[in-house]
Amino acid sequence: MADVVALTAPARPESVRVARQVVARVAADLEFPYDEVDDLRLAVDEACAYLLSLDPPGSTLGVRITTSRGRLEVVASTNARLEGWPPAETPESLAWQILSALVDEAAFETDAAGPAIRLRKRRPDRKA
Amino acid sequence: MTETRGPKTSLGEEDEAELFARAAEDPAAREQLAERYSPLARYLARRLAGRGEPVEDLVQVAHVGLLSAIDRFDPSREVKFSTFATTTIVGELKHHFRDTGWAVRVPRRLQEMGLKLSRLVPELSHELGRSPTIKEIAKRADLSEEEVLEAMDSQQAYTAVSLDAPFDEGSSPAETLGSEDETLGLMDAWASVAPAIRQLPARERRILYLRFFRGQSQTEIAEELGISQMHVSRLLARTLERLRVNLG
Repeated sequence: MADVVALTAPARPESVRVARQVVARVAADLEFPYDEVDDLRLAVDEACAYLLSLDPPGSTLGVRITTSRGRLEVVASTNARLEGWPPAETPESLAWQILSALVDEAAFETDAAGPAIRLRKRRPDRKA
Repeated sequence: MTETRGPKTSLGEEDEAELFARAAEDPAAREQLAERYSPLARYLARRLAGRGEPVEDLVQVAHVGLLSAIDRFDPSREVKFSTFATTTIVGELKHHFRDTGWAVRVPRRLQEMGLKLSRLVPELSHELGRSPTIKEIAKRADLSEEEVLEAMDSQQAYTAVSLDAPFDEGSSPAETLGSEDETLGLMDAWASVAPAIRQLPARERRILYLRFFRGQSQTEIAEELGISQMHVSRLLARTLERLRVNLG
């Protein structure tokens, strides 16, 4: 059974900080180690910043965190227009390169609100 | 020099190399390159915007950075220009923030907690043989978990949307690129490097990320990770070597 934590905030830089801290807290509760928590924070930061940089920008930023059994998924979305989404040359884009280095899976998607980015990360198994 | 204006065609890589070769003497070539990469400058300016300053000012600063990158670019180095330009432009934007006072100072309390963590986390990692949980760190540091997470957040010197720490006083964008000539050759293949990077241990990935996407110097990375600059240098060299081997 998966748990969901979701937040909706204005599409502003301050909201990205809120999202970062919420994701870090949820990851810490799942006992993700320090480095992985940090990677997740950075990935959420990049994903949200990218969505906020769309032109013209949306007015809200949504972040939905789903957790189950040591797996964490974050879907960040914004209500910007879908024209030009997903960005062409996705594997080449700086944002995608950063994201794919920080998490297990990263994908540009569309959800009910508009452009979205999905991130997935597994807690590394701990040896005794 | 005359130019035929026809329908827009995409420039091949050879044409671009030619433009760079001519850019020093030919303002028209320089102009073409600037136009071509203007979207990149605008994208970076918007990414780093926030806190109410006018985006158009930042776009101008970003374009100054772009022109500087065009002038300094050495195509023979096998670095993708977009990567080189990104580092230069971001450096220019950060200098602008520092000079115009937009950088927000981190409160002393958080700075101290951050320093404590940067010492404790590597210690604890070494003892446990793995990256510690937030709970374990909080216990060792005698802080609440909230404080640990807060300190972690404030330690992040460069983020995509806000700038919470002053840019390194001594370094220019050129210096942040460093003199690792061989390693810059990797940047061209960055897209194919990403999967290999995911295989790396977390700390090595973080060093690569800080070096090549945040443009941090080895000293800055060393401070952030709580290890010596020599150690960062060795880890970086080893990691890049490992990636080169993986890429064949």
